[in-house]
Amino acid sequence: MNKSDTLNETGISAPVRRVDAMEKLTGKARYISDYPFEGLLHARLLRSDRPRAKILGIEVPDLPAGYSYVDARDIPAGGRNGIRMITDDWPVFARDEVRFVGETLGLVVGPDREKVLEILSGIRVTYEELEPAFTIEEGLACKGGPIVGDDNLYGTYHLTKGDPEAAFRRAARVVEGTYRTGFQEHLYLEPQGMVGTWEDGKITLYASAQCPFYIRKSVAHTLGIPEPAVRVRQVTTGGAFGGKEHFPDVIATVLSVAVNKIRRPIRLVFERAEDIRFTCKRHPSRVTIRTALDEAGAIIGMDIDTVINAGGYTSSSLIVLQRAILHGIGVYNIPNVHIRGRAVATNTFPSDAFRGFGAPQGLFAIELHMSHLARELGMDPGSFKQKYFIKTGDTTITNTAMKDEIRLNEMFRKVDAMSGYRRKVKAYDDDPLKGIGIAFVNHGCGFTGNGEQEIIKAVAEMERLSDGRAALYVSTVEMGQGLQTVLRKIAARELDCGVDNIVYDNPDTDRVPDSGPTVASRSTMVVGYLVQQCARELKRRWGEGPGTRVRKQYRHPEGLTWDQDTLQGDAYPSYGWGVNVVEVAFDPVTYEVKTTGIWTVYDVGVPMDTRIVTGQAAGGGIQALGYAAMEVCEVVDGRFRQHTLTDYTIPTAMDFPSVACEFVENPYAYGPFGAKGAGELVFDAAAPAYADAVGHLIGRKIHEIPVTPEKIMEVLQDE
Amino acid sequence: MVRAFKPADLTEALRLRKETACVPLAGGTDLMVKYRNWTGLPPAFPGDVLFLSHLKELQTLERRGETLRIGAGVPLADIAAWPETPAVLREAVRGIAAPAIRNVATLAGNVCNASPAGDGICALYALDARLELTSVDGTREVSILAFITGPGRTVLRRDELVTAVLVPRRAANIQVFRKVGTRKANALAKLSFAAVGEVKEGIVDAMALSFGAVGPTVVRSTETEKRMAGKTLAEVTALAPSIVEDYAALIVPIDDQRSTAAYRKTVALNLLKSFLEGLKEKVKGI
Ligand SMILES: Cc1cc2nc3c(=O)[nH]c(=O)nc-3n(C[C@H](O)[C@H](O)[C@H](O)COP(=O)(O)OP(=O)(O)OC[C@H]3O[C@@H](n4cnc5c(N)ncnc54)[C@H](O)[C@@H]3O)c2cc1C
Repeated sequence: MNKSDTLNETGISAPVRRVDAMEKLTGKARYISDYPFEGLLHARLLRSDRPRAKILGIEVPDLPAGYSYVDARDIPAGGRNGIRMITDDWPVFARDEVRFVGETLGLVVGPDREKVLEILSGIRVTYEELEPAFTIEEGLACKGGPIVGDDNLYGTYHLTKGDPEAAFRRAARVVEGTYRTGFQEHLYLEPQGMVGTWEDGKITLYASAQCPFYIRKSVAHTLGIPEPAVRVRQVTTGGAFGGKEHFPDVIATVLSVAVNKIRRPIRLVFERAEDIRFTCKRHPSRVTIRTALDEAGAIIGMDIDTVINAGGYTSSSLIVLQRAILHGIGVYNIPNVHIRGRAVATNTFPSDAFRGFGAPQGLFAIELHMSHLARELGMDPGSFKQKYFIKTGDTTITNTAMKDEIRLNEMFRKVDAMSGYRRKVKAYDDDPLKGIGIAFVNHGCGFTGNGEQEIIKAVAEMERLSDGRAALYVSTVEMGQGLQTVLRKIAARELDCGVDNIVYDNPDTDRVPDSGPTVASRSTMVVGYLVQQCARELKRRWGEGPGTRVRKQYRHPEGLTWDQDTLQGDAYPSYGWGVNVVEVAFDPVTYEVKTTGIWTVYDVGVPMDTRIVTGQAAGGGIQALGYAAMEVCEVVDGRFRQHTLTDYTIPTAMDFPSVACEFVENPYAYGPFGAKGAGELVFDAAAPAYADAVGHLIGRKIHEIPVTPEKIMEVLQDE
Repeated sequence: MVRAFKPADLTEALRLRKETACVPLAGGTDLMVKYRNWTGLPPAFPGDVLFLSHLKELQTLERRGETLRIGAGVPLADIAAWPETPAVLREAVRGIAAPAIRNVATLAGNVCNASPAGDGICALYALDARLELTSVDGTREVSILAFITGPGRTVLRRDELVTAVLVPRRAANIQVFRKVGTRKANALAKLSFAAVGEVKEGIVDAMALSFGAVGPTVVRSTETEKRMAGKTLAEVTALAPSIVEDYAALIVPIDDQRSTAAYRKTVALNLLKSFLEGLKEKVKGI
């Protein structure tokens, strides 16, 4: 079957012009910095420049009229100096100690930017320095004394399937490897930014953000007021990638304290270098995998130790860690497994959500380890991995039956036909200048376990408008991924009208129900399904006339179980599946690697728009190749060393060839028109496939990304 | 308060240069980054600014006898497109930044910025380029080697402007430029290598080699180059290990946010070695 047979030209998958294409291409779209506000004030954060220290004093010079310095003392009675994310350990304003460079101390606000900068540079902060810990190793060793608790761990989880101890006892051989990934900066095109105002008697925030209701919750918590007393309006958002999931809470809380005090519109928008230096990154990881093999070389057990560097405060690190270990054995059925996961505190900027949310780190380790095992056993990684593909009904790492219908074999055949993998992987064994790598992944769609049911409880609404159009009310946002097009397309198809007849404005918490955050590959599958149900009912009730409003709430699919305390049961309602093949060529003089081919096949249920999903596959794939090959992000003295666009090098169009993408159709019963999630899946496979390809190329094992020419040289010289 | 001057002609520019402590600004692609400020505020220039790129006197590309004269205000894109531009310089210029930057950035700016990673500079060293420096009191010429004294440091006097980059026209059937960047486009060099030479009937007539971003200034050794002059290609190939050794002593790079000292040194020497070994093949085609 080829693409055009199945994803037929009139079906839901047929591409339409993106609804936001023209306004973005012509520069009409307005981002947060473009909005005029009457009497706007400018703001800059005062940040700590020490990674770990006691604050002895902050001396603020006398302020001219119209200028303010805002800090914890301005939090109203009943409020809290804590940012409500999953917990609230991250303070709005540093308490008596700072845990990382860039921690907020205060905010300077005023009408003239020059003056604001002058005031800022006149503030004297005195510290008593403490010994910081930056790396996973230093964190685990509690260097300088624990930052949290007595072991420096935010949390530890264990997953056990079968009897791993017995498996290791009877193993004929044990193969071990340690795999590492680095920080990654989101580098959304539009930096973090928000405007806070006092409108109609309430705090109102105009935000470049993914999760308007998260912001509302944190602000209400900090100010000690009811959530509906806060209004959050998302404005056109120039990219996010997870970086605008929780970090906007950091800005929103500070800003709200200031607006509450000053009652004037205040803008806080980061400059690019500020944004790279002082926002969350992807968690660095260290994963050690030991595999027990029997006499015949078959895998009988695995022991996996996963550690992520969470930085100075928890943020969403524990949920990231859960996803890392829940994806810890990838797409394989391994009989006896133990996984330990730990999130360690260090004095780096708190790590947080980034496309994939822990899964890329877990999948990188298992995929590379499986490739290494294959090489040790004299097999090609593709064929070796195929032997262990999980099948429907097999037991998962969380001890339940895998319920997805799995098409991995078909996907492997397809990617082989596209890339020539099986032929090349043999041919390049003897070619010192070429290599090819492969990685298989899955990605759980939606919140972990029963989070959609227990925590999010998404609601969507639709209304028949008086002009004959229909309005869509959801809190999930367009951030460049194409959601406005997809949700409107779903509604339009059910209502049998054109996409233009569906109104879907940027969410405003005063006007839309909480359909959850725009994260976790949930928006199309979960919210899209609610939209489909709304549209169906609205169609039935269309005759009731303008003003007819319908509402649907999320219901967990039947037959799924979950225990959040033990992490047992159905870890996700469903999974997207993928395979990537990456081909590389070598320059032995400079150790530079050129990527010569990228082939991808995905099972996203039914793609809601092939152009959008193909775009995701290209963008996600290249973003992951940047992570794997180029994006060096070192910490020196607690500061990110590569903090400009010159030195933090994301790929250009010249760095990688175009990404070939095909789909296998596999409709999901609880997704709109059979759709599952796609946004994160497309990030997961390229990095391990690239590392596998480079390993194949140089005939050595690669254990760490980014694998730069410098690292390749080291590996080659390290004979 | 910073003043911005837009002189009517070069004479006025030189007068302003003499009378005020102004910063000359050509394309501004280094300066606007260096003095960037909070969006919405003007750039944080330390003094008055003197705009240059509109000056007609600085806009010319001309051949004067055996010298190519590249006006200080000519954008890189025009230099890349000029048929007279030596291949090694063309290649270097084409690898700078991206098209939009090359439409405004100048070669004189690249030289005055004196970054060890400046791509144009590396090629100009191998070409024995000179700078034409003009003040109200007259004009002098300084070789690029003498002009750049360290990272960001030159012998430009406070009353002078660079009015042109002068490149000797020489027979050079060997011209190589190789930039190893942090990525494949719009990237700064981790290191760069330039070679300009003339081989006649199997004998090396002259050979100039330069290495960028591997030290505080571009590395060039006329002494080692002389060892190659007058030798047959076979002799040069035989000499290769000892030539590489010479440069190994001169190339002392640093670790920074873009690469490591070990990588820079190893790859610079690898490029040299592969250049020397490939010389025969290169000459065959001539
Ligand atoms: C995105 C980006 C990418 C870049 N990539 C590269 C790259 O790949 N390789 C590279 O080498 N560079 C790169 N650069 C740096 C820069 O573009 C070059 O150095 C450029 O050649 C500078 O020229 P300009 O005319 O813009 O200089 P300006 O910024 O105008 O000036 C640079 C310096 O020269 C002085 N100056 C300029 N003209 C004169 C004159 N006539 N007389 C006396 N002093 C003068 C100025 O005072 C200043 O000190 C990049 C810059 C950017 C922004």
